[in-house]
Amino acid sequence: MKDHAPQTLPLRPPGEVMRLERMGAMMPTRLSFLRALIRRLCTERAAIKRTHWDMSPDGHGRAVYSVELGGHTYSLVAISNDLPADQRSDRVIATAWDAAFVLYDGTPGIADIDRIAAQAPLQEAGRFSPKDLVLSRANKSVRMWDATVAALRSGGQPDAAMIRDIGYLMRTTAVYGNGKFGIADRHLIETRDGLGGPFAAEMLAVYLIRHFTLDLVAHVGRAPLDPVLARHFGVGNATGLGMAPFLVTHPVLLNNWMLARETAIARVRALDGLSAKQRALIAALGARATRHLTEWHVPAADHDTILRDLETEWAGFLPHLETLNGQSPIETLWQAAQSQSIPLQELLVALLIEAFPDEVDGLTECMGDPFGPLTTPFAGTDALRAAIEADWSWALAQDYEDPAMCRRFWYVSEAKLEPRLGDRFADDGAELETPLDIARRVAALHANLPAQDQSVSSFLTDHPEHAHACARIAVLARYPYAEIRDNLIAATCRPIDMLRCKLSFFGATKFDPKSDLWTRITLAQGAPLGDELSPEADDWWLPVLG
Amino acid sequence: MTEKSWTEIQALAVKAATGAAVPPAQALAFGAMATRHLADGGPEAPLSDALSHSGTIVDLAHQIEVVIETASISEQPVRVAEQDSGRRALLISWLASLPCQAETNATSAEIRVRLSLTDPSARTRPARVHIGAALLDQMQDLAARTYVPDSEASRSSGAGAGLMDLD
Repeated sequence: MKDHAPQTLPLRPPGEVMRLERMGAMMPTRLSFLRALIRRLCTERAAIKRTHWDMSPDGHGRAVYSVELGGHTYSLVAISNDLPADQRSDRVIATAWDAAFVLYDGTPGIADIDRIAAQAPLQEAGRFSPKDLVLSRANKSVRMWDATVAALRSGGQPDAAMIRDIGYLMRTTAVYGNGKFGIADRHLIETRDGLGGPFAAEMLAVYLIRHFTLDLVAHVGRAPLDPVLARHFGVGNATGLGMAPFLVTHPVLLNNWMLARETAIARVRALDGLSAKQRALIAALGARATRHLTEWHVPAADHDTILRDLETEWAGFLPHLETLNGQSPIETLWQAAQSQSIPLQELLVALLIEAFPDEVDGLTECMGDPFGPLTTPFAGTDALRAAIEADWSWALAQDYEDPAMCRRFWYVSEAKLEPRLGDRFADDGAELETPLDIARRVAALHANLPAQDQSVSSFLTDHPEHAHACARIAVLARYPYAEIRDNLIAATCRPIDMLRCKLSFFGATKFDPKSDLWTRITLAQGAPLGDELSPEADDWWLPVLG
Repeated sequence: MTEKSWTEIQALAVKAATGAAVPPAQALAFGAMATRHLADGGPEAPLSDALSHSGTIVDLAHQIEVVIETASISEQPVRVAEQDSGRRALLISWLASLPCQAETNATSAEIRVRLSLTDPSARTRPARVHIGAALLDQMQDLAARTYVPDSEASRSSGAGAGLMDLD
């Protein structure tokens, strides 16, 4: 981080930022976790070494890749299986996958590889050790895989248009970290140089998985991929509801992610003047965004319409990016965008963050939550009421007796503990609802507060059921971006918006929603290949092919 | 004894408390406390007793609320009278599990507590936490009460991702 305090304009208020409609339009930025991890690998000029390769001609077997990061060695152990087509499912409830992976802490010996080869394909049913940092699995994109192998075997290269459309050879269907199934808890590695950021170990695993898929297809295809095409292969991911509750159950982390992003854009908006080089960079990024949008098509008609509208709107807005003169050129540009759509505004946020690494990159160090909420209690119920009326008016404004305002309930299925969403008036299980109905709980607490001021602890003696709402109110009083300011049990709630927010922080591109409940994405598309990790390679925001 | 990660124990303890009908905030705090308690080698019987009498967990949570409230208005150590050794052990673990700094000094009938609410705890966590078979079984049984039985309807309409995916 630079050693001066950057100038900043006021941050966008949480009431504007923390709405699902806006969160559901977020784009990846240079603050995104995968981008930050790869930037770190680039800074260290890291080299990925293939230390083990025992693979059949059809690509079934084991491989190990090792990389040095921050003075530690990490290794991806990859197990590739022969999966019958009728078992290939992206659902959490699946029991077999094309490939399974463990990110191992150090360099595994043969005994470790044997252990992982026995356990990793079992995934949730396996048992892992504190030396195992991340557990993952992936399925092939059968169309892309078969076409690439066929092209390579015939002496050619895969079709660029098909790579643009699909974007990956394999897609992960889970990337587990932080203690799941016995793997290492995050606290064991969070102080390590290079792995301190949120989901850094998971992102390292994803990047190495991408490297493995490129190696594997060249092995099975018996010919190397053109590096330009190879770079445009990322790792796919199918993400369902399981990711959405995380944003609600980790309010301080959510605050820190959003605060870093909002601080970044506020700093950029405060810039006084631009150099010719900066103006040229912004114009170039604008043009790249245009091409990226042109290449980004999705099968779902409603979502494709949003993209096409954005493409048209962006084309109309581009001239603003080419006339950045005067005293406060970014703020002038920003104000011009305020009459545009939310998707355009969020695209502009990501572009402006991209253009100013000196003002932005140090903020990645502030995106973790090593402590948990450090809150102070309210002086009494009057102070609690005042906090609710100041920060939670959006929650008080809804009628939760209206069936449309409480139709959905979140729950955990006994089937592999998969999070699901039910209809309160049609489905079984509402009595086992997961407490993500924060807005409703705060409104209920507000309605129960006594007319006469008393201590909050004495109030909770009679109303222990309100302690959860009290805790959330205390958190929001200190962490302003900690709460999604929408009713998460309303019939109109779209979990896909929560997924988009979280996945954009991961660095996902090419969002391809399949319903309101799940989406496909691509990670690491355009990222430097394993032998290209150098500081100048950190330029792959919104990748385009060719 | 079974060896688990910190996260596994904490998540299980939260679910167990929830399955024992403890409200969400108290269940979350119980999960953090139980993990700290087991990691520090605390006796398992009080945890088991608390899960068997969920009112105990709510009571303990309330005692902690009072301590925090008192600490926020006075820099003097807070005195918590507690005759029962099991509850006293859980209260000490509960205070040790708070995100803030907490110093405790216990006698046979009282705990003296000094909290620094805005300073983060510096307590370290072990790589593994050990739990006895009986307590583990009890927690798993209670946790199972929080899961909704699987059904074709919930599989098809309530979850993400298509059932088969051959893109």
